[in-house]
Amino acid sequence: MQYFLGVDIGSVSSNFVLIDQQQQVVSKVYLRTNGNPVNAIREGFQSLRRQMPEDAGIAAVGATGSGRHLADIILGADVVKNEITTHAVAACHYDPACQTVIEIGGQDSKIIILRDGIVYDFAMNTVCAAGTGSFLDQQAARLGIAIENLGEQSLASSRPVRIAGRCGVFAESDMIHKQQMGYPMSDILMGLCEAMVRNYLNNVGKGKKILAPVVFQGGVAANRGIRKAFEKSLGLPVAVPENHDVMGAIGAAILAGEAVSASQPTRFRGDGFILEGDFKTRSLDCQGCPNLCEVACIMRDRKILSYWGDRCRKWETSLKPAAQAVVV
Amino acid sequence: MTRVGIPQGLFYFYHYPLWKTFFSDLGAEVITSGPTSRQTIDVGIDHAVDECCLPIKVYFGHVYQMMQQQPDYILVPRLISTEHRSYICPKFMGIPDMIRATMPDCPPLIDITIDCSRETRQLWRDIYQLGTLFKASRKSTKAAYEHGLQEMRSLRVLVRQGYTPGEAMQLWENNGEGQTLDNNSDICVGVLGHGYSLYDPAISLNLIQRLRDLGCKVVLLESCSRDLVEQEAARLPKKVFWTLGRKMLGSALVMDQSEDIDGIVYLACFGCGPDSMVGDIVSRKVNHKPFMLVTIDEHSGEGGLLTRLEAFCDMLRRKQVRELESNIPAYGFYAHSH
Repeated sequence: MQYFLGVDIGSVSSNFVLIDQQQQVVSKVYLRTNGNPVNAIREGFQSLRRQMPEDAGIAAVGATGSGRHLADIILGADVVKNEITTHAVAACHYDPACQTVIEIGGQDSKIIILRDGIVYDFAMNTVCAAGTGSFLDQQAARLGIAIENLGEQSLASSRPVRIAGRCGVFAESDMIHKQQMGYPMSDILMGLCEAMVRNYLNNVGKGKKILAPVVFQGGVAANRGIRKAFEKSLGLPVAVPENHDVMGAIGAAILAGEAVSASQPTRFRGDGFILEGDFKTRSLDCQGCPNLCEVACIMRDRKILSYWGDRCRKWETSLKPAAQAVVV
Repeated sequence: MTRVGIPQGLFYFYHYPLWKTFFSDLGAEVITSGPTSRQTIDVGIDHAVDECCLPIKVYFGHVYQMMQQQPDYILVPRLISTEHRSYICPKFMGIPDMIRATMPDCPPLIDITIDCSRETRQLWRDIYQLGTLFKASRKSTKAAYEHGLQEMRSLRVLVRQGYTPGEAMQLWENNGEGQTLDNNSDICVGVLGHGYSLYDPAISLNLIQRLRDLGCKVVLLESCSRDLVEQEAARLPKKVFWTLGRKMLGSALVMDQSEDIDGIVYLACFGCGPDSMVGDIVSRKVNHKPFMLVTIDEHSGEGGLLTRLEAFCDMLRRKQVRELESNIPAYGFYAHSH
């Protein structure tokens, strides 16, 4: 049996999915990137391999997320796509009639407006990460609540308090004030959810026409408090797909399946390359010009696979012919 | 020979041919501070006040680097207005003073005031005065300045053909030798932004080249017909009195109606006053084409920018395919939905 692999290497989580020829999810892995994407890619791949049947083969690989280029180097991807496109593809696969996608991840949040199944407009958060998953994470840790339970606790609220949502620092100090005044925790948490939604709709969703069906995905979609706050604020039902946390990876897998064909074999590097050998990243300051670019490179054992980060691409292109020879 | 240094920032991309020709004709040697590098940005951030926009900070870096070459004078014009009743951002007015205050060891600045908002007689008086620095007569000073204006116009002709001002400058300096434009693109993107951020690859994180690498033909606001731009900009209830802001708004509206352009990208600088107004007006007024506002600051991580540009191009391409398949313009249909 042949499957398509999709990987989404995000700032906070790294997700892996395997879909079959009918685009159904066969297995998925969701793990924390913990600041080490190289490790996350190998670990994720390994645990996905363990879940797979013995005879299963990987026919195509799609990579997305901010670490997509790293994933491409280690796994060998047929499609390397930005997060907007992959999330839109996955949302359309979940609900072909979908018109609005709300995606809130670890460090960024986005809105995608779809019409007739294609991206019609999109926006991402600009200068501030307030109102994304990492802020919720931080607050949950401060309050000693497991992030998984934060949504449940907020649902108990009957009278949410108002929290300033424009800025993460303001929100935190406002929460502390409210908590010291003795408001119940559930009301404060629901207030936080509503503040995040307000911030999202005012910044990311500014000027966009949000029409039903609305699909809410990304790690934060697991939080039922946020979902409820969205429904209240939009006056529309908000659907959360079962695989909401790995939608980017699903989109990448679908696109990878479309990209390979009889004439276009997969670039997947194979288990041996990924699981054996030792991957290391290194960085160096290029002294070639006053730009002093911070060049990073990844090596497998002692072989350098790729350079990046130099503006003039002197390093990036220095390896091209040799690197391709290694791939073959 | 007197050496005049021209920092390679701010209005360099618009006015360099004018000043280079002017000072050369007066017998001076013209030197520049070189393209913006990481170092220029770092030094600039150290010297400039922290609440100004990135292009101004970078300009401080250029002046600092200019100082290291020890020219006799550094040209830091006091730009107020380049056309009748329209103005340049007020921060430009104070730049010579800010530089003297932060870099006391600076060589003498040529801080000629450029204010054409009401009349140009004072400007001419200042130009003649400037000529005396090089012991030039009124007649030869006038000739040099007019020669400069003519060279600046010849550069604009190149830019209208689709070269960025940076590329055009190279062609101009090397008498027509330089890179040629190739037209291997299936989508066409209109790009707007203040020239001093957009055309400086270090500030704009190489936005224009990145779009070209993604297979786009890039149309700049300089290549839109000036008359059309003014005509469109005048449709607003109140005149936009910032010269660059008005041009961006007018060009955005021209691009919005142009059949050749598939989408519009607007590069704004964080902390830019005019951009915060004009960018918002443009995003409300552009109704027929996909529009994206990109805000940049001192980032050097380029991932965020690349993700947005890639997604934007994907969107334009999928839309194009859809329109070909269905023969129905996917856009006009939803034109007023946002």
